[in-house]
Amino acid sequence: MIRFSNVSVTYPGGVHALRDIDLEIQDGSFVVVVGLSGAGKSTLVRAINGLVPLTSGSLEVNGRHVEQAGRRELRALRSEIGMIFQSFNLVKRTSVVNNVLMGRLHQTPTWRTLLGWYRPADRELAMQALERVEIVEKAYVRAANLSGGQQQRVSIARALAQEPKVMLADEPVASLDPPTANVVMRDLQRINRELGITTIVNLHFLDLARRYGDRIIGMREGEMVFDGTGEQADEKVFEDIYGRSLTADDVLDLPAQVGLADVVEQRTDGESARQDPS
Amino acid sequence: MARPIESRRRTTVPGSRPQPPSKTRKTIGFVAGTAVIVACLLLVDARWENLSELPGNLGNYVSLMADGVLSNPLEDPETGYWQRAFELMLESLYMAWVGTMIGAVVSFPLGFLAAENISPRPVVLIVRQILNAIRAIPELIFAIAVMLPIFGFGPAAGALALGVGSVGTLGKLTAEVIEGIDRGPVEAARATGARQLQILRWGVVPQALPEVVAFWLYRFEINIRASAILGVLAAGGIGSLLSQLFAGTRQWDRIGITLVVIIVVTIVVDLISAAVRHRIISGGKQQLVEVAETSSIPAAS
Amino acid sequence: MSVQVASTAVGQVDRSAWPRKPRPRWSLWFGLVVVVAITVWSMISIEFTLAPLFTDLTRGAEILERFFDPNWEFAWRIRDAWMETLYIAVIAAVVGNGVALFLSMLASKITNPNTVVYQGFKTILSVVRSLPDIAYGLIFAAAVGNGALAGILALIMFNIGINAKLTSETIDAVDVGPLEAADAAGGSRIQRAWSAVVPQILPNYTSYSLYVFELNIRASVVIGIVGGGGIGQVIRVQLNQFQYENLGAVIFALFVVVFLLDRVSVWIRRRLV
Ligand SMILES: Nc1ncnc2c1ncn2[C@@H]1O[C@H](COP(=O)(O)OP(=O)(O)O)[C@@H](O)[C@H]1O
Ligand SMILES: [Mg+2]
Repeated sequence: MIRFSNVSVTYPGGVHALRDIDLEIQDGSFVVVVGLSGAGKSTLVRAINGLVPLTSGSLEVNGRHVEQAGRRELRALRSEIGMIFQSFNLVKRTSVVNNVLMGRLHQTPTWRTLLGWYRPADRELAMQALERVEIVEKAYVRAANLSGGQQQRVSIARALAQEPKVMLADEPVASLDPPTANVVMRDLQRINRELGITTIVNLHFLDLARRYGDRIIGMREGEMVFDGTGEQADEKVFEDIYGRSLTADDVLDLPAQVGLADVVEQRTDGESARQDPS
Repeated sequence: MARPIESRRRTTVPGSRPQPPSKTRKTIGFVAGTAVIVACLLLVDARWENLSELPGNLGNYVSLMADGVLSNPLEDPETGYWQRAFELMLESLYMAWVGTMIGAVVSFPLGFLAAENISPRPVVLIVRQILNAIRAIPELIFAIAVMLPIFGFGPAAGALALGVGSVGTLGKLTAEVIEGIDRGPVEAARATGARQLQILRWGVVPQALPEVVAFWLYRFEINIRASAILGVLAAGGIGSLLSQLFAGTRQWDRIGITLVVIIVVTIVVDLISAAVRHRIISGGKQQLVEVAETSSIPAAS
Repeated sequence: MSVQVASTAVGQVDRSAWPRKPRPRWSLWFGLVVVVAITVWSMISIEFTLAPLFTDLTRGAEILERFFDPNWEFAWRIRDAWMETLYIAVIAAVVGNGVALFLSMLASKITNPNTVVYQGFKTILSVVRSLPDIAYGLIFAAAVGNGALAGILALIMFNIGINAKLTSETIDAVDVGPLEAADAAGGSRIQRAWSAVVPQILPNYTSYSLYVFELNIRASVVIGIVGGGGIGQVIRVQLNQFQYENLGAVIFALFVVVFLLDRVSVWIRRRLV
């Protein structure tokens, strides 16, 4: 369970990114956080694994207090929390499997890291994680040679290799095209259902939020302005969260019914041909 | 289009685990590298046992040097030490500067001759090899072999040696910059019916000059250090003082003062040079392009 | 690239429809005048003149003649010194580049979050870099006696100065995303540096290390002259004895060796990077 009590975060510049947040997230739930850019979604998610320190309040994750954790304890806590980033954050110059093995860092002694001698059991975990996101055939390919969607799936595998209890995803699909975005969201949902990993996803597309979120949390200027189920979150609610009327940019704009076949097609052909721009 | 490329590259069926890439080459490389290093360690005739004296001796020297550096610089003999060190460091800077200028002036045309997009192939090949050859020879060797016999001992010979030594690197870098320029302006100049020299002047030079000038400055920084080396051959400058001090009874206090002067002056000059280089690279391009454009108007009309 | 940046900055004049007359580029002309003045002043100060090329060419001619009549047999006779120079260069490059990688991690804000400490290491590195190799040669020859050991130690310092600065600047410019991912996975600082930073800087670091090795052959000759062993020591002795035929042979051979190693290094760099 994750419990925010009176949590506030103020950045050094004086920006109040979170104001007095009270929030409980049950184990195994799939929560989507929505809000405009700058609303504090990233800060909320990063507070959970201690990447952003709290200014006040307390935050309990799996029975441990994040704000009281020392460096060592924080690392132990982080190893139980997988994280997925908008820009994938892969080491592009190294192989996919080496990237996934980064998920085993905390369980690996430093000397093994320095020599690159990961335990066979850890290698097996990494391969299984890649199998779960259906990209194991790329294990020894350089990460730079994958498309955006493939890279994001590798980064999900990296988080899975941690065998996490909680999965955080900060705008995981913002850099992807609509069909790929759906594939990635579906992967996250499947992992949540199959493994029971508590999943918290930041999104700004309301249709995706409604489609995948069991529970939706709306943020505006650092405050929680909505907390309810996907069905409760209608257009009126989103207009309220966004503080303006909705525009075409707020939806992913995918035709309502996409056949699974199309998505699979996209996954295996179109994507892999594309090169990463960087 | 993407399909055949993709299927050729993919060696495994989707969904199945691929073979890990072979480690043989990596292992061979690693073993060979280690063997070379071990061989060097075994074969070199170094008195490793002297390493044990190193910390004690260095500590000793440092405290002696600190004595010299920290004693009142306004009293004799320290005043003289500081003065002499500054004078000779300045002489080193002069040598380095003149050497850099010689290198710049000589390397600039050579850079054009060595650029593939400007010069005919045979010329490029010949000039490149000449530049490579010059780069292979340490400045010191130029000084010993050519400058000292003709010019005798002194900073002028040192400056000339630095100049010749700079030609190799500067020429190569200039050629690389020229090869990297945007072809548009060159074609535009050619389209107006300009002659080859005019094309170079208005199409190439304005684009290449800022980066080339930045390399000149960078070479100046290197030449300051190299000038110290030439001092060993009594070519003047701070190097002469250093080698005299070490050749004699090693007055560590004076050596300390000299080293501090070298460190401070070098760092200050490096900082200034780096700042100017950044300015030239970021703002200078536009400036030089503009100068070229504005001064080309009367020429065109 | 910078052309675009600069031109948008200049292009924001909208006072009238007419373009303004370009500002006089006094700073450029001023710069030119300064450069010429410094050059003239420097030339006067060191009494620079090309006159000896015309008047004293004959004085040099005799020595040059002896140079160009090299005693090849001598170059072969001192083969041990050649090998020693090679050993010195290899050992110093391995140690120096290894230490440089470590120090550059400490001297970059990316890998060392402690501002005071990383600024301190940056300063140390610029001091190390500011001393010429000859100074290290003299100091270590005094501390451990003339010979290969002094040469190795001096070259190590020289290599650290060059490589650590370049590498720490490369680290400053890495993509920090993977570092954040390593943090989020619960990795330690060392693990983060090794798994997220090193793969990113490896091509540059390798290229700097090879560059340093190329410099080492040349530098070890210089350091040898002041007591660092190897071929430099031979050169000094021959120079003191005015054995120009022997010197000529050594110098030509050195030229060939450096030239070949240079090519080998370029080849390796192309294959590795
Ligand atoms: N490291 C930081 N330093 C200062 N201000 C920050 C920092 N990160 C985010 N902010 C500010 O905090 C507010 C919330 O940011 P964020 O949590 O990233 O919002 P979101 O993810 O919803 O776009 C914004 O106003 C942003 O500018
Ligand atoms: Mg955000």
